[in-house]
This record gives sequence, C-alpha cells and structure tokens, in this order.
Amino acid sequence: MVSADIDLSAQLGKLRLTLPTLMGSGCYGSGEEYAPLVDLTRIGGVVLKSVTRHPRLGNDAPRLVPVAAGLLNAIGLQNPGIDSYLEHDVAKFAGRPCAVVGSVAGFSVDDYAYVTERLAARDEIDAIELNISCPNVAHEGETFACDPDLAERATRAARGVTDKTLIVKLSPNVTDIASIARVVEAAGADALAVINTVRGMSIDVERAAPRLGNVTGGLSGAAIRPIAVLAVWEVARAVRVPILGQGGIETARDALEFILAGATAVSIGTGNFTDPRAPLHVADGIRAYLAERGYTRLSEIVGKANPEFRGGVRV
Amino acid sequence: MPALEMSQRVHETVVCDRREPVPGIVILGCRAPELARDVAPGQFVMVVPPSGERVSTALGVYEAAGERVSLMLVVVGPRTRELALLDVGDELTMFGPLGNGFALDAVGGDVALVAGGVGIAPLLLPAERALAAGARVHLYYGARTQRALVDAERFEALGASVSLATDDGSAGFHGYVTELLLRENRKHSALLACGPSPMLRAAGAAARALGVRAQLSLEETFACGVGACWGCVVPLDRASAQAPKFPAPPPGEARSYVHARICKEGPVFWSDELRW
Repeated sequence: MVSADIDLSAQLGKLRLTLPTLMGSGCYGSGEEYAPLVDLTRIGGVVLKSVTRHPRLGNDAPRLVPVAAGLLNAIGLQNPGIDSYLEHDVAKFAGRPCAVVGSVAGFSVDDYAYVTERLAARDEIDAIELNISCPNVAHEGETFACDPDLAERATRAARGVTDKTLIVKLSPNVTDIASIARVVEAAGADALAVINTVRGMSIDVERAAPRLGNVTGGLSGAAIRPIAVLAVWEVARAVRVPILGQGGIETARDALEFILAGATAVSIGTGNFTDPRAPLHVADGIRAYLAERGYTRLSEIVGKANPEFRGGVRV
Repeated sequence: MPALEMSQRVHETVVCDRREPVPGIVILGCRAPELARDVAPGQFVMVVPPSGERVSTALGVYEAAGERVSLMLVVVGPRTRELALLDVGDELTMFGPLGNGFALDAVGGDVALVAGGVGIAPLLLPAERALAAGARVHLYYGARTQRALVDAERFEALGASVSLATDDGSAGFHGYVTELLLRENRKHSALLACGPSPMLRAAGAAARALGVRAQLSLEETFACGVGACWGCVVPLDRASAQAPKFPAPPPGEARSYVHARICKEGPVFWSDELRW
C-alpha cells in the first residue's frame, strides 16, 4: 500500500471532507490570510472566524499572552456583524479549494437562530459551526455551553433554520462535558467540536496586574492537549454523532491521539501559529501512519483506542 | 490578492553567520534570496520555533543584501533564548515578508531615525533607502547601556549622523533617547521610530513638539503574524487610511476607535492616528 492510496476523507453530517484537517475558528481568518503560505488544496477546510448579529470591536489590548506550551487569548469576538459580513465578506469564500464552515456566536437563543439562518442560506458556506463556548465575552457567551438547557435551546434554534451540517462547539469548562454532549446531540447537532479553549489568566508580577486586557482568557496550544483528548474520549462514549477533535494539535501524532480517542476529524488552531506548515505535516503523517499499519482508510482507526466508543460513523 | 502579499512565502533557510555583539543580543544571517529581494523597509518575518510547541516569533528584518538577510534578537524569554542558541549550519524556517513597512515616498530631505534597543533593526533598510535617495539621515539611538548600543557605527559608515543615549550614562546622553531628540531640537522632514511602546509614545509626543509627523513601528506579541487571529491590535482613528473596514458599532459602544492589527495594517502607523 503506497500512502497516496490511503483514504483520509471524513464525514461530518452532510459535510464530506477530503482531508480530516479543519483549521480552527478564529485562528485562520477566512483562509485568504494563509493562502500565500499554504496550499489550501492540502487542508480539509477552514472554520471561519465567528460572526455575531451586531458588529463587535472586541476586547481592548493586550489580547495575547504566550505561556508555557500554549497561548492565552481574549480577542472578544471582534467581527463586523452579520449584515456587513454577508455584504462584503462571504462572496470572497466562493471557489475555495477546501471546505468553508461558517461560525456563529450569539448572546441569545434568537441570535443563534437569526445569524445561522442568514449565514447558512449562502452557497459559499458548506456547513455551520455553532460557537456556544467563547470564554472571552463579558456576559453570556460561554454560558450556553455550560448550561444544558441553554445549550439545548441554542442548538435546537439553529437546527430549525438550516439543513446544512451543524457542528456545535463545546466548552471544556464544565463538570461533565458528556452530559452536555448528549443534550446537544438530542437537539439535532450533526457533529460536535471538542473542545474550545480552557479558561485561564496570567498576572504580570512587575505591575501586579492581569496581563490580558480582558483580565481572563482562553488557553490553547500543546498545554491543553491532554485535557482535550480526555474530553473527546468521554464524549465519544456518550454520543453517536461524529466528533471534531481539537486542542493543541501540532503534529500527526497529536492528531492521531484524538482520532484514536474517537474523533472523526481534527481542527488545528494554535498549531498554525507555531508553524503554518503544521496542517500539511499532520495530513502527511496520518497517511504514513495508516500505510505503515496496512490500513486503507482513516475511518478504520476512529475510536480504536476507546473500548466504549459509540460512534456510528464508520464508513 | 494584493500585490504585497504575492511575495509572502515560507523560507526554509540555514544560518550562515552569527554575531553576538553583546551577551543576549544576537544577529543571525541566513541565506534567503527571495526574502532579501522582496522585503520592504520596516517589514518583518515570523520565525518558526526550532523545537515547536511555542508560537512563532516576529522579528523585523535587519539587513537584506544579495541573497542574505539577517535578524537581530534580544533574549527576553524562552522563544528568543532558543533562537539565540542557533549556530552556523542550523536550519531556521521563517515566513514573510509581512506587514506594511515605512512610507518612504515622501520623507523629504532630512530624516530622523529614533531607535530604542533592538528597535534599531528595522531602521537600517530605511536608512539605506533614504541615503540612496539623497536625504540626510540622523539616528537617535538609545539603550540601557553603552554595550547594548549595537552597530551604531554601521549607520555612520553608511553616511548617517548619530546621537547616542543610555539609561546609565555610559555613552552619549544620560537619559532617554526621546529626551535627547527634544534636547537636540533639529528640524526634520520625517521621523521613523522603533522600540518599546513607552518609548514610541514618547517619540510621538516629541515629534509633535518638533513639528514633524512620526511613523512608529510597533512591537507586540503576534500569534499568526498574517492578520488571521486579531490578537495584536492597537486602537486606531476610524478615519485613518490604515483602519480596517468596519461598520459603525451598535448603540452603546462607547469606544470611538477601531482595532487595527499591528501585523497586518501595521506594524508601522502614523503616530497622530493612534488612539493608545
């Protein structure tokens, strides 16, 4: 088996990815920012930066703090709002050589329905990720992913306005992520993105003050990988819908941990900030791993390390 | 895609020379012909960490000639420490050139350069460009101490005049370089500055007092370096030509500025348009 014959495709609801590597929301812009550096035919797709009903200026600086093996951020959902986004931005996504997943954030159940309906109606958008887990907005952002009732209502509201693939992004900042996952699955999610960033903060001891403008932030990067792998492991035992695993993936072996725990595909976010070639290395490395072991399809190893993996997605 | 971005690419280079003029400040020369050809004065590169697991480091391009570019770095943490340990023959991957450099079309006949510490690095290429265009160039160069004033003689050899300042008085003026700028009170047709944020704010104020518009090259932690993550923002006047296109904020938004990305709209901004 030569590695070029390996099937790396992945199915998330109706969304068929030729490669199992999505670029995480908020980390890849709309894809065009990286187009000079990375051949976009060699990535599975881009999850766009989240858009909200109204424009948002985002948090005041500083928004980033590099920490050991990771990055703290508090961007605050800066975006032009759905009206401007549909008018000026979405048309640019046509003809991308990879999947384009829109990302919707909100502050009310009605926001999620309204923005999802308008964004999903556009042909340039292949699927919707529902960001119910942003930790960096002053009120209510992450509450949706941390409260089963709100998570259920936001998901149901979005499900009611589109037939496109609906991926709901869960927060690790909960006691029992599996119970939230079950509720969101029952409300109609086609797939679950696991996980968003882990809440954290950093203090400048010289100034005796928090480093981030927003005081608190979300931690990403290698530091959170074991947290994320465990979350995928637990969610994979609780639901049957496919899982998009993410949290600190930089190499193929990192991605394989998520896949073996039960993720059908993976997202790379902060890993792009270490090296923009990371998504290429991840796909190539997964292909080599499968070839060395005699597999012909990525789907053969999804959940392989997880005895109680329930996913019904083996193709 | 705008023409500027057409020249962006990943450069897989090898360190071809290394200098450490003072402990903790390292100049790495690399063979990167396309970068050397394409970089504009004031642009930067993102340097991929050799051992992974940290975000890339933004460094202004110092020298660019022939097939060689060099980067100047000061060791301030784990990322720069790792880069400082590189030696001749080691592989080094970087991507760029990134950002918008200095506006050099209308700098006039008498250009002031104001550098704080390793903020000297992105000022060499503008100095070369301005001198080649027949302008006079005066460098105001400040650092903590005399030994940290790296390569001032290089600017003199090019034909620039130089005034030095040190925090400890070990060379030149005893005090901040921005105080020196005011004290010498020269007339300049343009002022370009790079250094830590407090120094840049002071440089902007000094430029106003001297009646010259200042272009400031901002230092900040970047994550992506290409405008994708919106992590490196600075408040900018809505009317600035560099302001990202952004609709009017909703009622209840008290802030009158917009957030511009330092890596994308910058790193060089007009001082009088910053709202920081």
